[in-house]
Parts: sequence; C-alpha cells; structure tokens
Amino acid sequence: MAGPANKGYKRSWKNLLLNKRYQLRFTLFMVGLSALLMAGLGFWVMREANVATSVGRSRVVGEPCVKVPDLKPEEAFPDPAPPPPAPPVEKPVNVPPPDTDANDKAAAKADPKAPHHATVQIDDETMTLVPPAPIVQTVPKDWGDAVVEHWSCEMRQAGALDDLERGRTRILLVIVATSIGLLLGLAVYGINSTHKVAGPLFKVTLYLGKMREGRFDKVYNLRKGDQLVDFYDHFKAAHAGVVKLERDDLEQLRAVIAAAEAAGVEHDVMGELRALVARKEKSLE
Amino acid sequence: MSDVPSATVVQDGKLGGDVPKNGAPQRPKYKRKLSNYLLDKKLQLRYVLMVTILSGVIAGSLGYLIYQQRHIASASIEQDIAALTKDDDFQKQVAGELESTDRVLVYKMAGFGIGLVLILSAYLVIMTHKVAGPLYKVSMYFDRMADGRLGVVTALRKGDMLQDFYTAFRESHDAMRARLTADHEAMIAAVDKLRDASAKGNRAELDAAIGKLEAHNGTRKKQLS
Repeated sequence: MAGPANKGYKRSWKNLLLNKRYQLRFTLFMVGLSALLMAGLGFWVMREANVATSVGRSRVVGEPCVKVPDLKPEEAFPDPAPPPPAPPVEKPVNVPPPDTDANDKAAAKADPKAPHHATVQIDDETMTLVPPAPIVQTVPKDWGDAVVEHWSCEMRQAGALDDLERGRTRILLVIVATSIGLLLGLAVYGINSTHKVAGPLFKVTLYLGKMREGRFDKVYNLRKGDQLVDFYDHFKAAHAGVVKLERDDLEQLRAVIAAAEAAGVEHDVMGELRALVARKEKSLE
Repeated sequence: MSDVPSATVVQDGKLGGDVPKNGAPQRPKYKRKLSNYLLDKKLQLRYVLMVTILSGVIAGSLGYLIYQQRHIASASIEQDIAALTKDDDFQKQVAGELESTDRVLVYKMAGFGIGLVLILSAYLVIMTHKVAGPLYKVSMYFDRMADGRLGVVTALRKGDMLQDFYTAFRESHDAMRARLTADHEAMIAAVDKLRDASAKGNRAELDAAIGKLEAHNGTRKKQLS
C-alpha cells in the first residue's frame, strides 16, 4: 500500500474538534466518569478522614494534662503581723459642739432661699494609721515544674490537634487538586486521541466529496499517529477500484472510437462518445 | 376517515407494503451478536482499556485512602481502649470487631471496583461498537468497490454513531453508481447505434470493438446490480 507521500500537514489546535458529536461524546464520557468517581470516592475519603480526625482529636483531648496545683491563700498571703498597739489617746478637750441649728436659723433668716448645709468637723489627731503587712508569697518547691509540664502538655495537645486538622485539610486539597488536574488532562487527552480517529474520517469524507463530483484525485497517506489505518487502506483500495472502473470504460470507449473512426463511421453517437471520454479523462487527471 | 380504503392483509397478517414484491424472500433482519461486538479490536480495546484502567487507578487510589483513614481511626480507638482498660479480653474483642469492620470495608471496595470494571467494560464495548459497526460496514462496501462492485448501500442500524460520515459515504457511493449507470446506458445505446451505423471502411475491426464493448457492458451490468 505504498501511496504518495504525506503533504506534511501539521495538527492545529483549531482543527482538533473535527467531529464534535463523536469526539465530545467519548471525551465527556471519560471526563464525566472520572469526575463522578473522584467526587463519590473523594466524599467517602473525606468522611473517613473526618472520623479519623474526630477519633484522633478525642484521643488527644482525652489525655488530661497535669494540672497546676492551686496555691493556698494562707501560703500566698500569710496572716499579717498584728498591728502595733495604737498610741495612747489623749483625752480630748471638750469643745462645745457648734450650734448648727442656730447657724442654720441665722442663715435662713438672712437668705430664706439659700440651701441648708451641715458642717462636719474631723479631728484627725485621735486616728491611728496601721501600715499594711508585707506580702510574702510562698510556693511549693515542685510548683514550677508542674506549671512547665502543664503548659508543655497543653502546647503538645494543641500541636497534635493542629496536625490532625492539617492532615485532614491536606487530604482534601490533594483530592481537589488531583481531580482538577486529572479532569483537565483527560479532557485534553480525550479530544486529542479522538481526533486521531476523527482526522482520518474527515479526510475520507473530503475524498468522498470529490468522488461524488466525479474527481478521482491522488489519495495521500494518513498523518503519523493517526488511527484507523486499516480502514483507510480499505478506502484507498475502494478508490483504486472505482478508478479502475473508469479506466476500463475509457479503454473500451477509446478502442470503439478508434475503430469507428477507422471504419469511417459518421454518426451523432461519435460526438456523445467523445464527450464521455473527455469527461472520464478529466475525472482521472 | 371514510375515504381511507380499508387495509388488506396480503400475507402472514402483513399489509401489502410490508410484503416484498415478486414473492422474493425478505432478508432476515440483522441482529447484534455478542461475538460480533468487538469488530475493530484495536480501536475498541484501546478506548475500553484506557477508560477501565483509569477508573481502576482512581478507584484504587481513593480506595486505599479510605482504607488508610479507617485503619488510622481503628488503631486510635484500640490504643484508647488499651489505655482505659486493663481487660485484655475486652481489648481483643474490640480489636477483632474493628478488624472485621475494616475487612468488610476492603471487601466492599474490592466488590465495587470489580463491578465497576465489569460494567464499565461491557458498556464501553457496546459504546465503541456503535462506532466500530459503521466503520466495519463502510469497510465492507469499500472492499466491494475495490472489486469494482457498486451495489445498493443500506442504512445504518438505529443507535449507531458516525451517521454524518455514513451519510456522506452513502451519498458519494450513490452518486458514483448513478453516474456509472448512466455511462453504462450510454455505452449500451452506443453499441446499438454503432451496429446500425453505415461504415465506409473496415467494418470487421469495428464489429470486434463493438463486441468487446458489449461484453464490457455485460460485466458492468453485474457490477452495478
């Protein structure tokens, strides 16, 4: 089946969808099925991941950290020393209390609209100020270690919970990213691989169009990587078969015309036969 | 509706239009056979294997993730129980139940995967058959054309794909057949006219050429039938 060399046609992205119905059907089936599987199984994975995370979280939280021992108030604030005895209070000098009523009455007489005020006098000489006792905080010897251990445990738990959450998120991201990459890759691959079938069909359709119009051009080979090579070989054989029919007709007609001309036949049919021969010759150019 | 003539049963309960003329036996209707589903192994298996393997890889990978997460949860629960209780029997019982649950999950997933692959393969073989079928049919017509035979082209089966391509093929085939038939008729007419035409020169040579053309017309008649 050694045919004429390929014209050197290059695939173009614009021409990838030659047979939309066929190509999209097969590509979308592949992409849709993968999307369905990724979504369904991805949902299942996330459900299991949520369960595993919850169990892990319960386990982490369920291991209680050592509590920081409470400091007893008497240890932190021991009883202050008894205040020093108050200095002896001198007997107060009897000062007659001011006659407030008389003052008020006098003021009321002077200005009946003026408010009434009471006057208080404090004698601070008799008051004693006691200085506050110094606060002495005493803690148990292992209290510091307990605090360190407690907060180390708390931080360890927080880290473990964070790890669990991050692990769950990582699974989700991996599934989503893989799905997007896979679906895009499959769409490109699907269109490209179906194009390798649609391409030869398109080429055969073009030749069939020419054959319908009575033109039997050269049939070129398929591009490298195309599928349906066997099918295309069948087509080339069919094309050759029809060309042979036309050549056989041509041969017979030429022989008859030559014999008729040699015999000196003058008839209208000679014109018809010559026209037929001319048409067949043109179709085989 | 009274103007409509009453239908007349001609044969076996069939109406006149449904019975082949001239009493010729009707061609048995082609039925799809299971063995004929893989008409173009290369084309069909390529797509079937591609999609099936892809689905298997997706299902396998995500199935492994599902099992891994379940196993992590089970191991965590076992460790919790071991920390909470010293009862070995209870621990073993719980561990056994969890292991059994995990195993059931694996079986379920394996069943799902096998079922998916089987159903998918069957569906894809049928789906690709709808492409391979028309190609196979066109290839058969191409083989006939290669032998110089241009008979009648029948329609595709319902549900077949590549209808557009097949229509283009059929139209082209019918046009070539019509043209060759017209040429054939013209050559038959030419033979008759040339026989009747008066010749001035060598008649024997012309008669021989006419004889050959007549034989050629006979062959062509068979080819176009």
